[in-house]
Amino acid sequence: MTEERASEEKPYRRLETQTLLQQIAFRHGLEAMQASENGELAWVTSGFPVEIPIAMNLGVVYPEQAGAIIGAQKIGPDVCGFAEDLGYSQDLCSYARASIGSTEKPEEVPMGSLPTPQILLACNNICGTVLRWYDAISEMTGAPVFLLDTPPIEKEQLPHNQEYVRRGVERLIEFIGSHFNRTLEEDRIHEVANLSSKATKLWIRALEACKNKPSPLNCADRFLTMAPVVSSRGTEHCVEFYESFVEEVEERVKNGVGAIRDEKVRLLWDNIPPWHTLRFFNMLASRGVGFPADTYTHAWTGNMVGIDTPSIIDEVVETYSKVYLNMGLDAKVDKMCQLINDYDLDGFVMFSVRSCKRYSLGQLVSKEIVTERTGVPGVIIEGDMVDSRVYNAAQIETRVDALLEMLM
Amino acid sequence: MAHGFTPSLVRALPGVTSGFEESLQTFACSYIRNLYSQRANGQFLTLAGLLFPGNTCDALQNLGDVWKVRFPDDRVFRLTYPVTRYSQDESTTKFLAEELRMLSKTLSTTFNRPFLTESYDRAIELVQDFRNCAQFLYSARVVNPKIISYSEVIRLVRNFLTAPTLSSVSELKAAAKSVQKTSNELGIFNTIEAVKNAILNGDYSRVNLPEGLETPRIVIAGGMVEPQAIAAIINGIPDFSDSAIVLDILSFGFKIVFTIPPSYSDDHFFAMAKSILTAPGEPTHEGLSYRMNAMKGLLKNLSIQGLIVCEQSFCDPDQFEAPSIEKAACELDVKTLRLPLDSELSDRGRIETRIQSFLETME
Repeated sequence: MTEERASEEKPYRRLETQTLLQQIAFRHGLEAMQASENGELAWVTSGFPVEIPIAMNLGVVYPEQAGAIIGAQKIGPDVCGFAEDLGYSQDLCSYARASIGSTEKPEEVPMGSLPTPQILLACNNICGTVLRWYDAISEMTGAPVFLLDTPPIEKEQLPHNQEYVRRGVERLIEFIGSHFNRTLEEDRIHEVANLSSKATKLWIRALEACKNKPSPLNCADRFLTMAPVVSSRGTEHCVEFYESFVEEVEERVKNGVGAIRDEKVRLLWDNIPPWHTLRFFNMLASRGVGFPADTYTHAWTGNMVGIDTPSIIDEVVETYSKVYLNMGLDAKVDKMCQLINDYDLDGFVMFSVRSCKRYSLGQLVSKEIVTERTGVPGVIIEGDMVDSRVYNAAQIETRVDALLEMLM
Repeated sequence: MAHGFTPSLVRALPGVTSGFEESLQTFACSYIRNLYSQRANGQFLTLAGLLFPGNTCDALQNLGDVWKVRFPDDRVFRLTYPVTRYSQDESTTKFLAEELRMLSKTLSTTFNRPFLTESYDRAIELVQDFRNCAQFLYSARVVNPKIISYSEVIRLVRNFLTAPTLSSVSELKAAAKSVQKTSNELGIFNTIEAVKNAILNGDYSRVNLPEGLETPRIVIAGGMVEPQAIAAIINGIPDFSDSAIVLDILSFGFKIVFTIPPSYSDDHFFAMAKSILTAPGEPTHEGLSYRMNAMKGLLKNLSIQGLIVCEQSFCDPDQFEAPSIEKAACELDVKTLRLPLDSELSDRGRIETRIQSFLETME
């Protein structure tokens, strides 16, 4: 792969909306600090039904997002190392290690350590690790953990599973209510759900715009701009951000402007990105290789309807149980095939993330099935999302080159 | 068993190190790599079906999916467990009961073997006998670890888990009877019963262990580790025997033994679910603080001096819980050895040396 060129000749185009993104991130950080000082900050997992704590007027932050920031700053090995010093194995999720490490030594992690939580809200629809990770944070901070258990489903969610998760959501509302002495107001949850739904719909619109050739967004663009739909959905400013974002994306489509300057090959990305090496995508862009779709950012397309629905709780139960990672290998394969077909992709790259078992175990099998079903080749590369110690750039380059030789 | 099957716990086998590579990455936990390799190499037992637990750990969850694709002729079933343990209502029990009911229905239709109440009642009786005897033997060893060797107790437990039959329970009953006789002669029977009740209900106020207990007294903690493998290692160390092991709190030992057996009920599935949910918690469940408190109660009141924490490589639940276990033990001044290992015990020499050094520090 060639090195990155000087700024003015870069093979990819920077989004104007990125400036807005920084403003949102700054605002989000300030609000979180304020919420923590007021004694009403919740740490939540990325697949948590955040509409409920937001509607109950809690501040929320996402440790996974903080992990991404730590990774992007290339301080992952140091911060994960703080957790390892406490006895946590290097085999464990690097988001979790980064979170434990930055909680242990916040002064060493000015960008990426989160304000002290008052409660920890985990939903295991993305993996089982979140519970153990939040238990560890609870030991360190004294904040209680609430687990919303969403047992994995196959094909459809059966009535007993719905009923169990429903009771979990009710207990969540009771838990927040008793902890902060407040209730969930019907009007407020509808308002938040509507805002969440609007943001998600706009996000889906931006993702779907990438079906165009050239694609208006590349992988790195989506990984960065997914931040608000993860961390701020359910708020006005999140909707405002995505309105501007979609406008820019659709303008690009209208004018035939691609995210990369010379799109020759269109690939699918599977799994969390290597936050420490996002230039991986930019280096490939210089060879005309773009990623119009990926499975990770498409995970945030579960849409709360929010209006004209008899029960928001039922809506939450369905939306958050049917998260892509909670539905088994078949669902993952179906999703990949669907994206390859809908986005007219030439191949796929699967990032096998050593510390993310739920997402990664099964990739060797799904690679074969996806190729069989779609006829396009794929390659598996191995590394980690935050911990760059287990990212071997040379080996990855060789494997990706082998894929590209087939395609170019 | 109510459908006429013999449930058999599948285990990792030593010496099985490859075969998984076509389907699992090297960072898959050693337990699932081993199971897969056994199947890929044709070393697996011939089974009518394979039941995977769901919602326990990500590795086993994904292995079930991979298995279905790679071995399409195998009959693969899933029983999904609730992770919630402290809901203060019956939602978890109801969920698990329904899962059991659905499994039963699937077994009936797949194999044309209906659920027979008579067989179920016999199974209940068998499980009750197993648990009563095994709990007694575990508790007897707490009071006098030499009354029966640890290896023998877990051999009996293992036999039952491999084939829960009248014969395996008869052997266990005979061992319990013999230990009971010895304990009466030694005048420690009541203390053993008090220990058993204390472990079951977490209240140690009635436990008075005899003076002059032999040392060292250690506990083995961790998850999916074979108790027998650890006992064999300790027995192989010069000048030590497994009488140093007072208790394990492993998944394939203590946690299975100290589950309250299902009671007779009109709703079999609800009764079974209720029983399963009384199992001492696993790191795959909610409730780290409950587990740590329970462990501290046990270490403190049973005069434990040392704790060996087994951490299976790439096992999320084991590796996440280990620092908390170490911290909890440290608060009680109980010495701890954290022991990373894999199911094949491929680094046996190093493991033996570490355990030996640890035991020597106890003397």
